[in-house]
Order: sequence, then C-alpha cells, then structure tokens
Amino acid sequence: MENKTAMPVMNKKTFKFQLFSLLNGLGFALFCFLIIIPLWKVLVDSLDLASGYGMKVWPTNFGLAGYQSVFSNPTLLRPFFVSVITTVSGTLMGLTISTLGAYVLIQWDMPGRAFLGNILLFTMIFSGGMIPSYIVMKNLGLVNTLWVVILMPAINVYNLVLMRNFFEGIPASLFESATLDGCTPMQIFYKIVLPLSKAALASIGLMFAVSYWNDYTNYKLYITKEMLYNFQMKLRSIMMGSDLPSANGGATENTVQNAAVIVAILPFMILYPFLQKYFVKGINIGAVKE
Amino acid sequence: MKKLLALVLALVLCMGCVSMATAEVKKPEKITMMVDTTVFTQANGRDLFEARWEELTGIDLEIIQPDHSAYYDVLQQTIASGEWPDVMILSSTYYSSYAAEGVLWDMTDAWEASDLKASGRFVGDRVIEGLKIDGRLYGFAPTRGNGCVTYVKKAWLDKVGMQAPTNYAEYTAMLDAFVNQDPDGDGVADTYGVSAAGFVGGEAPFVNYLAEFYQDAYPFFVQQEDGSWVDGFTQESMKGALERLAEAYAKGWIDPTTLTNATKDCRNKFYDDGFGVFTYWAGTWATNLKTNLEAKNLSGELVALPPIAEVGAYFDRVPPVWAISSTCENPEGVFKYFIDTMLDGGDMQMLWTYGVEGAHWSKAAETVLAGTEKEKTYAEGEFHMLENMETAGTLYTKNHIDPMLSLATFAEGYYDPKEDSVKPEAKASSELFNASSKLAKIVPTTEEMSMYNGDLTTLKNELIAKVTMGEMTYDEAMAKFEADGGKSWSDQIVNSLNALN
Amino acid sequence: MNAANIQVRKAPLKNRILKYKWFYVMFLPVLAFVIVFHYLPMFGVYFAFTKYNIIKAPVWVGLKNFKRLFSMPNFWRAFSNTLEISVTSLLLNTGMSVIISLMLNEIVSTRAKKVAQTIIYLPHFMSWVVTAAVFQMLFSPTTSGLLNQLLLKMGLIEESIYFLGNSQWWRLSYYIINIWHNTGWGTIIFMATLTGIDPGIYEAASIDGAGRWKKMWYITLPSLANTIITVLILNLAKVMNLFESVFVLQNNAVMDVSQVLQTYVYYQTFNSGGIPDYGYTTAIGLFRSLVGAALVLMCNYASKKVRGRGIM
Repeated sequence: MENKTAMPVMNKKTFKFQLFSLLNGLGFALFCFLIIIPLWKVLVDSLDLASGYGMKVWPTNFGLAGYQSVFSNPTLLRPFFVSVITTVSGTLMGLTISTLGAYVLIQWDMPGRAFLGNILLFTMIFSGGMIPSYIVMKNLGLVNTLWVVILMPAINVYNLVLMRNFFEGIPASLFESATLDGCTPMQIFYKIVLPLSKAALASIGLMFAVSYWNDYTNYKLYITKEMLYNFQMKLRSIMMGSDLPSANGGATENTVQNAAVIVAILPFMILYPFLQKYFVKGINIGAVKE
Repeated sequence: MKKLLALVLALVLCMGCVSMATAEVKKPEKITMMVDTTVFTQANGRDLFEARWEELTGIDLEIIQPDHSAYYDVLQQTIASGEWPDVMILSSTYYSSYAAEGVLWDMTDAWEASDLKASGRFVGDRVIEGLKIDGRLYGFAPTRGNGCVTYVKKAWLDKVGMQAPTNYAEYTAMLDAFVNQDPDGDGVADTYGVSAAGFVGGEAPFVNYLAEFYQDAYPFFVQQEDGSWVDGFTQESMKGALERLAEAYAKGWIDPTTLTNATKDCRNKFYDDGFGVFTYWAGTWATNLKTNLEAKNLSGELVALPPIAEVGAYFDRVPPVWAISSTCENPEGVFKYFIDTMLDGGDMQMLWTYGVEGAHWSKAAETVLAGTEKEKTYAEGEFHMLENMETAGTLYTKNHIDPMLSLATFAEGYYDPKEDSVKPEAKASSELFNASSKLAKIVPTTEEMSMYNGDLTTLKNELIAKVTMGEMTYDEAMAKFEADGGKSWSDQIVNSLNALN
Repeated sequence: MNAANIQVRKAPLKNRILKYKWFYVMFLPVLAFVIVFHYLPMFGVYFAFTKYNIIKAPVWVGLKNFKRLFSMPNFWRAFSNTLEISVTSLLLNTGMSVIISLMLNEIVSTRAKKVAQTIIYLPHFMSWVVTAAVFQMLFSPTTSGLLNQLLLKMGLIEESIYFLGNSQWWRLSYYIINIWHNTGWGTIIFMATLTGIDPGIYEAASIDGAGRWKKMWYITLPSLANTIITVLILNLAKVMNLFESVFVLQNNAVMDVSQVLQTYVYYQTFNSGGIPDYGYTTAIGLFRSLVGAALVLMCNYASKKVRGRGIM
C-alpha cells in the first residue's frame, strides 16, 4: 500500500528524490525524538520503583509495582466501562449531529442557510457560564445522569464546521446526478456524502472520542455520584491522592502517579492503529463516480 | 416564627438551666450533608460509614460528596440552585463569607448548651474562639487546623557532625554544611539545604514553608496587640526577612528552582536526597516522608525541629468547619444529633475518627497485608487498621478526624486506639507542633480588600521573588512597590480593616 | 408593477423552502442541541450587569462590573498579554502543524507513517499539570535541566539559564512547550484534508513534469488553505480563553510577561479573601466573548474580501 504520489516518475530525478526523502525522514525522526523526551521521563518513572525528580534514561530499580497499584484498584473496572459506554455513544451522537448539521450547511441555495450557520457560530463565542448551565441541566433532570456527559459535548460547533469543510470538497455534480436519479436528500446523505468522507469521519470521530475519553470537567461539575465516575476521574483521584499513605507495594507515590498517566494513554494507543487506515488511504473521487 | 420562638426560648433557658434547653430539641428524620473527600469516599466504604451513622442515631443520612477538586464549584452551584444541604463542610474563606451573607445558622447558643462543651473532654476552646465572627459562632471544628514543622534529615546532621539547630545562626551553619560538605556522600556537590514550593505560599499562613527566614515578618495583613491592622509587607521586619532570603539564595542554601517548584517536586527531591531540610505538615506526613525515604534505601530518620529562637512558634491554620445552613428546618436537631455527637467520646467519635469496625479497623485476631513485606498478625482484641479497599497494600490511617488533631479525648474508660494506631514519628511531630504553635487568625474581608488585594498580592509576591533571587535590592523593590500603586492599595485596605473596629 | 415584482420573488422562495423541507427537518436535532446546551444557559449573561454572590438574589448594578474591570491597574497589561501570547502561539502551532503534516504526507513507508503519527499525537493526552511538571524539570537551571546541560556542553551558553523563571526567556519557553503539546494533535485535521486530495491530480501533475516542490506548492498547499483558514478563524474565538497552559507554567517572577486575563481574574478572586462575585466574573466572560467575536468577525470579513467567502 505505497503512496501513489511518491512513485518516482522520471529516472533522472530519482537521486534528488531519494535525498529529499532521506532529509524529510531524518527531520521527522528528530521531531519525533524531541516529542518523546518528556514522555520518556514519564514512562521511565512509571517503571522505576525509585523514581524521583530528575531524568533517567533507563529505570534504575525496574518494577511494575506502579502499574500493579493502579490496576489492583478494584474500583477501576466500573469507571472503565462508564468511559467506554459514554465514549462510544457520545462519539456516535457527536458524529450524527456534526454530519447532519454539516450536510444541511452545504446546501448553498437553501433559504436561511446563513442564518442557521450563524446561530451555530454564535454559540462558539458566547456562553452563559457554569452556574446557568448547571441550573438548566438541573431543571432538565440531567444532573447526576450519564445523559449530561454524553449529550452536552455532542454538539461541538468547531467539529461541525470542520466537517462542513470536508463535505464542501465533494463535487456538486455528484449531488446533481443523484438528485436526477431520484435520490432523496437522506439517500444522498448516506449513499454519497458519508462514504466519501471516511477520512473526515475518522479524524473528527477520533477528536470526539478523545474528548469524551478525556472528559473530566463535565463529570467534576455534574456528577457527584461515584457510581457514575469515569476512568479519568478515577485516575485523577489516584494521581492526586497525595494524602493517601504512600509506598504501595514497593512503588513510591511518584511511580504510581506516573503509571496512572501512562494508563490513561493506553486505550488510545491500542485503538489508534485500527483507525489509521482511514488516514492513509486517499480517496479517488473519479473512481467512486462510476 | 417558630424558629425564632425556639431561639428565644433556648436563649432564656440557656441562662437558667442548660440541660432543659437541650431536652426540648426534636430529633430530625433526615439530614443531608455535603462533604469533601475528607470523609471516606464510596470506594472506601462510605456506604458502611453511612449505615453505621444511621444505626447510631436512627436518622436517615444523605451524603453528597463531589470530587475533591470540584468541591467548592459544586457547593456554589448547589447554593445557587437553592437546595441547600443541612450541614456542609467549609474552608475558612467560605465560612466567613457565607456567615456574613446569612447562609449559616448561628450556633453560638447551641454550642454553649452542648453536651460536648459540658463534658470537660473538649480542649479546643481557643479554636472555637478563633471561629467566632463578631462574637457569634457559625461553625464547629472537630480538629485543629494543623500546620508545618521543619524536618531535618538525621543522617545528614550526623554526616556533617552537627546538632539540631536552635537559632538562626546555627540553622544557617547547618544549611551551609548541607551544601558544601557533601551530606549525601556521593562525592558530587549537588545538594541544597532547604527547598520549598515558591518563596511565599499561596494561602494563609503564607510564610510557613520558609518560616526560619521570615521569622517575625509576615507579608500579609496582621492585627496588632492593640487591635489595629497593619500590612506586614510594609513593616521594617520585612527588610530583614528579604535580606535573609536573598543571602540564602545567593549562597545556594535554598534550592535554586524554589520559584518554580511544585510541592510534589519538593517531595521528590527530598526523597532523592537532593536537600536536607523540609518544612512540611506535622503528623501523618512525618510517617509519609519516612516511608518514602526508606523506599529509596535512605535513612528515614527525621528530626522534627522545635521552632528556632527567632521563629518562636509555628502557625496553626484555621481548620475547616462544619456549618448548618440557615434554611435547615430543624437546626437545633441537626446540631444535637450531627455536630454535638461527632466528638461524643464513644462509638460516634470512633466512627468519625477511625471508621467502621470490620471495614476500616478491627480488633479480631487476623493477619493484615498478608504476603507483603508489611504483613502483620494481630491477636484477638488488639486494635489495628485494615487494608485500604481502593489502594491495595496500604492501611487506613483515619477517617474524617485525624486522631492527632482531634479536639476531644475519648470518654473515661472508652478504649482510645490513638497510642496503637498512630506511628511514633507522626505522634512526635504532632505533639511538637501542638506544643509550639500559634493560631492563625481569620482576616475579615472588606470592599477594598476584594478590589485591590488580588493586584496587591501579585505585586508583593513578584517583589519577594525578585529580591530573593537578587534581581532587585530591597530599596528598589520598595520604590517599585510605591510606584506601581502597591502602597496606595495597601493603605486603603488597612484603613478599611481599621474602620471595622 | 411593484406588486408583480414581489409576486415573482415570493413564489420561488416558497418553492425553495418546500424544495429544502427535508433539510430543515434534518437540522432540527442540531437546533435542539444548541438550544438546550447553549442558548438556554445564555440567560446567565444577565448576571454580568448584577452584583451576585450566589446566595442573595442578584442586584442590578448596570455597567459597574465593567467599570471596575477597566479601572483595574493591571487589567490592560493582562489583556494585551493575552492577545500577544494567544495569537502568537495559535500562529506558531498551526504553522508547525501544517509543516509537520506536509512532512508526514511525504513519508513513503506506511509503517513509518503509522508509528510517527502515533508518537506525535501522544503529548495531547498528557494533562497540562503533568506537562508543566516535566518541562519545569527539563528546563531547570540545575543539573537535572537537560536543556541547560546540553547548551552548556555545546558551548552555546556560559551559565545555566532559568528559562521558566526569567522574564526574558519565559515566553519563548512557553511557545516551545505549547508546540510540543499541540502540534501533533493539530495535524489530524490537515492529514484528513490531505488524504482527501484526489490522487489523480498528482498523477496528472507528474505527467506534466511537476516535481515534488511544485506539486506541494501548487496542489497540496492550496488544498490545505481552506482548512488552515477555517481552523485559524475558529480558534480565534478561543484566544481570550487562554488559561490552563499559562497558569501551570507561570510563577511570581514572570508575572509581567505571563499574566493573562484569565489568570489575572483567578488571582483577583483567589486573593480577595472572599467568595467570588459571580456578577463580576460573568462580566469578564462577556468582555472576553465580545473580543473573541470581534476577532472572528474581522477575520471572517477579511477572508471574504480576499477569498470571496468566509467560514460559514
């Protein structure tokens, strides 16, 4: 599955081309290296039973007690499932809202289109604030339910506008021919728009998923029942648990906290490779047309 | 009307016959309480705590316990939405503001007539006095606020052949030795005397992490003997304090990254043997510091330093308080059954201090932490704390009330597990602190204070940092203080405070 | 004649609305969401003109909160710091994201690309508190400070620099840490745009003899332009919200260059020794919204002038 654009076309350019690739690769490797240094510190500390303030290349006192301490926490399972449920349903909800909104907003001739767009944009700029939001959620009976943490972030105008940006790239001729073939707007939506926007769906879906997974603020403010806490809330309380007696099964407080940071990243590292293919594959619109 | 009547009645009876007034109180059916995570969380058996509490009182208890970092946000939201809890726990800031706004029920009379006050076991009269606002009491604290003492690594003292210092000259001589005589013995000159998270603290009492350098100087508003207020930052004593800090920084006695350290960085550096003197919380933290040092194969022996001569006394913070809301239907009942029982010297005090028998502590014959290095077997009848439900491998140490900070002893004849449950080093540091601390005072809020104190504090902190780090002299700093308006804000606030008297 | 004209215009509008009736229906859920989660809470803007301490009913004070804010001695400094820091880091982050996306796009090996992408996304998952703690250490002037040690070894500096504790160096350090934290994640949206480019166009260009640079300049960048502008304008709405990243990295010695509006307000309320006046903080929120709105409208207008269209 090599990238087509990278295929050498002319022989005399091959050398130059390879040099470019080499430099590009080296530059990128350097960038990745710089990105990794701070992360490496956290990773090493999470595996070092005697981790401390400074930076080490390798753990001097290797041990998994930090992770054991995080995972032996019997109360971590339920928050994990809360996170999975809210992330999956929230992402689906978020994508539904964004794609619907984006699809309507590319109907250039639709009366009131600009008005609807501005209604959305306005919410990006003005917000009522924490206390009014709480009062509204409370009156709707959403406080201390998972609905509030699923529904509230589903409307994300930023993502909706980006989605619309992608939909714009779909040639208008496709819509016209489909309309002539007698397709209803809804049919065009899921037969043409959605299949052509896999990269967009994957990237914006990922953005939604990550924000749901990392959500902490909404839980903090709207959920006071520990039964409904998500994984992040739990990890934070492990991390911030400095008033707890330290030295857990040989791991220092610092080791446990660093392990918690790494654990929070793990689900993403496991999930990401599955999404990856949508980012590499270019979509040849000409081919789809036929 | 009824409430007013009850109050008047209580007042009248108070003067005459104390016991009769309390006998009138109706028992509430249900109490809602809002609490931070200083009470066992759900993961740590809160339901068991609740069941036990209900069993002891026969009252239905509803607990609202937001996440620790969101407590005051959620509290504010709850207050805004109008459904106030019956009892809530409050920091001193919220306590004084809520009291001033009429959110809190005046419990002065109830306190005067309380069983606890009459019991003779209560030792916190000074603390209660400190909580009074204009002579009225709106909240109750079952514990002292606690504060910081200075810990010195014994191994380092031995290495440089010194005794624990008793005055500033000895203190600095020790710091100097800790910098220059390779106390960690690794052959590299990489140690500091003392470290802290910032040169000045973020909340009152601001100077407690570097008390030895500040001594009698205090960069905030202080009430003098005669009742008048001054801004400690503008006093002559601040000059000496800043010069001591600057000298210590220039000579490398203070960790050069003190400015940007977080508390966690300080702790890690302390465990890494990066510095030898650490001013930190008295009590349980003495044990935490020790175990963390030992986890790194270092000597965990720490000397809790009595305040050096120039410091005189450590600061005891204003403790968090339990308060009853003014909308509570039966505040007398809530006081009697919730607050007055908290330190009843018996089962209830046991519950608030150590938790539930069989869940958090036990007297059964058993082995705790079986299979780990810390495994220990107890005989029948021997008090011990049980393994933490959330963090395996550790033991519970307390529930809401820290036994070392508790303001009342257990009743005569009731078994007090303090001797058995508190580690010796925690007990030692706590007792030292008790014997040598002074109570911090609540500074009232005025219009001018809320207008200018944000800017003023930012400016003071900036100047303290810059003088300490040698970027500015004291005189330059004071000139800037005046030029930037600090002097004028400071004067306006002092005048507004004096106008309160 | 007039009447006839109106008649002519009216009929198509009605028809057009009818033609799009299903689209209006499709928009209903979106509308429901914004109303419930955004417009209903907006009644709270009213508090900006009141004195409201949560406990007692709000008292109308007119523009007093705004007057108080504008008269605050350090407010304007915080305001200009916010704009400078926020806009600079927005431009730097976006610029870096675009460059990195282009580099990533040129990587031939799929596996290398996969690994690289996973790595550069990781910083996004570290909370700012953790990020700050790690960088305070890496940038510290002591032996633990990796950066200083490296610069000393290379002979570039003679003595250690307190990067985060010195007014001259703080902003540069802040921008670098921000780039570290945000660049990778920022590439997601550009990568999605790049994969959306029809490979046929590149093939055609290659046949016409266009080299890498030409293709990048004439095909890739123009395709990205739309997304870049959209991202920039959308993010302008948020520039005044700058808080957490600054808050965790600032300290007493660098207040002059690091104090932004949100941290300024934080210290104002935190140090006032009382509970925050909700009316005052709402007023500040409203002020920030107005500045954000002005920035977005200005740039959207500029975008319309230059490209013939805005972002909506």
